[in-house]
Amino acid sequence: METAHNDTSEPPLGLFRINAGSCNGCDVELAATAAVSRFDVERLGCRYTESPGEAAIVLITGPLTARVREKALRLHGAVPEPKVTVAVGVCPVSGGVFRDSYAVAGPVDAYLPVDVNVPGCPPRPQAIVAGIAEAVLLWKARRDGVPPPTAGSLPESGGENAAPAGVRGRMRFNAAACVGCRMCAHVCAGSAIRFDEEEAGLRFTLWHNSCAFCALCAHYCRTGALAVTEEWQLAHRHEEQYRLVEQGVVPRLPCAGCGEPLLPVPPELLRVAFRETSPEIARLTALCPECRQKESIGGTRR
Amino acid sequence: MSRTITLGPREVGLEEPMYFRVEVEGETVTGLDVVAGQVHRGMEHLVMKRNLYQNITLLERLCSLCSNSHPSTFCTAVEEIAGICIPARAEYLRAIADEIKRISSHLFNCAVIAHIVGRGTLFRGVMETREIMQETKEAIYGNRMDLAANCIGGVRYDLAPESAAFLGREMERMKAPLDELYRIYATDADLTARTEGVGVLPRRDAVACAVVGPVARASGVAYDVRTKSPYGAYDRLRVEVAGEGAGDVRARTLVRLREARESVSLIEQCLAQMPAEPACLDTLPEIPAGEAIAKSEAPRGELIYYLNTDGTDMPARLKWRVPSYMNWDALAVMLKGEKVSAIPLVVNSIDPCISCTDR
Repeated sequence: METAHNDTSEPPLGLFRINAGSCNGCDVELAATAAVSRFDVERLGCRYTESPGEAAIVLITGPLTARVREKALRLHGAVPEPKVTVAVGVCPVSGGVFRDSYAVAGPVDAYLPVDVNVPGCPPRPQAIVAGIAEAVLLWKARRDGVPPPTAGSLPESGGENAAPAGVRGRMRFNAAACVGCRMCAHVCAGSAIRFDEEEAGLRFTLWHNSCAFCALCAHYCRTGALAVTEEWQLAHRHEEQYRLVEQGVVPRLPCAGCGEPLLPVPPELLRVAFRETSPEIARLTALCPECRQKESIGGTRR
Repeated sequence: MSRTITLGPREVGLEEPMYFRVEVEGETVTGLDVVAGQVHRGMEHLVMKRNLYQNITLLERLCSLCSNSHPSTFCTAVEEIAGICIPARAEYLRAIADEIKRISSHLFNCAVIAHIVGRGTLFRGVMETREIMQETKEAIYGNRMDLAANCIGGVRYDLAPESAAFLGREMERMKAPLDELYRIYATDADLTARTEGVGVLPRRDAVACAVVGPVARASGVAYDVRTKSPYGAYDRLRVEVAGEGAGDVRARTLVRLREARESVSLIEQCLAQMPAEPACLDTLPEIPAGEAIAKSEAPRGELIYYLNTDGTDMPARLKWRVPSYMNWDALAVMLKGEKVSAIPLVVNSIDPCISCTDR
């Protein structure tokens, strides 16, 4: 935390919650940041308030439903300038798993300026607190009329913030193990995963701001090309929102028989399919399906 | 002189947005109308645009307090249609996930009740106790709210011996605080004065409103899906159904605290009984055309899923009836004749899940 303004005589900054149609996961975790001493937002010089007029920082949860939109915008408008807005969870940023519904009017930034995003579904309280700390820095810069500091380096994700082993953070993609079956995109509830055909091969893109961090993609990935990491500290400035992506390109190689481009068969898939491989199988992997057929038919005549 | 006032989420002390139109004579409530829809995300439409796999994750976000009940009941319906018998170990692991969520959910409600009657220290104390459960969930499932425990054909997590031992130790840690909380809520003079005889739902009305879950059990209706029509592992578990007769705010809170304590015992039974075998089928099953109904006892009561499939992996129809939907109506009975100032307390005593109801 920067200390230039940590004058103890300053009144606490008001935090105002707007539930824009959330499933209440983020809201329950916000309650934890108010009630549980380990997360205690008061350490940041903040306090929750029930009245928008007393607030400096707005915390928005939920995908902004059509029904709640007017009310949410009115409440946001009632918070005096300078104010800083934090999107808690992926729903306000992208709609999360509720994307493409007739009842969802979001994303929130189509209606009002968002400053900080805290990805997660829901984020850990420690991540929410990190997002609020970032918002405090921005608010002080706005109050003093100075340019915002460069994005604060996020607090240590170790120490008292340490997550247990196996915490579901962002996904990681290993292009070398991908067979391009697209099962991950098929099972992704938030449509966070895209495949694009490119000159170089098949491009995989996963947007963390639309990801529910459920890791169902990794569960159904037979070759382990997708794995869940323990990187949960993802709070960022809103202008960085599209930089939170995981990408990779699966190169297409020419078929050893006819030269047609094909996706290589990774050893991970061979292990799933055959357990043991032979030089013969390894040779077939360099051929497209059509050349493999010819090879097999020819093989019987040998 | 009768008038109508509108109460919003802030006056009701709810986590979620729900508005009420209340008819009052002076300071006394004479009628109540619920204004719903703030959290309507169009989910019955969305689940038709998503395939069965996507719906596992989507349905878990119907509501994050009952979050495990939705995907596990949905997967049960899918398995029913496909004729899948999931491994017994998976049934136990589903029950463990359900009961962990039940403890957290019930404690959250008891914390909010303490908050509403102005007992800030007690509120924080209950939240700190609940934190043991939150950390347990994070250590075992990787998330504090949405466990992502279920998949079609079983569960996605397994308890290695050391994890099972860890869970057993955490359950042991919960016992004394839960007993202590029950003692406080049952005997504290101030809490008793604030909650006894408030928001009474007599047994007759409980039956007429067809309420479910702790609301029913606090009014002397011993209806619990886990014992009435056991699913999954529950036919092999000893479930003591908590019951109270007074049907007031105090009774509903005490039922929840007893159930939280009972959940600890259920988790211990699961850990003791679980056979060693895979926790999930390792094939992608074919889901034929068909229809099925699956039921479970979610933290707030009976949850019913209806699923209709057409042989593709997109549901032809998927509908659910959530427990809170049954319990809203009883508020009109509970609040009749109460003071306006009692509304927040009584509304919270049914543990209303707005995101489940509005969806």
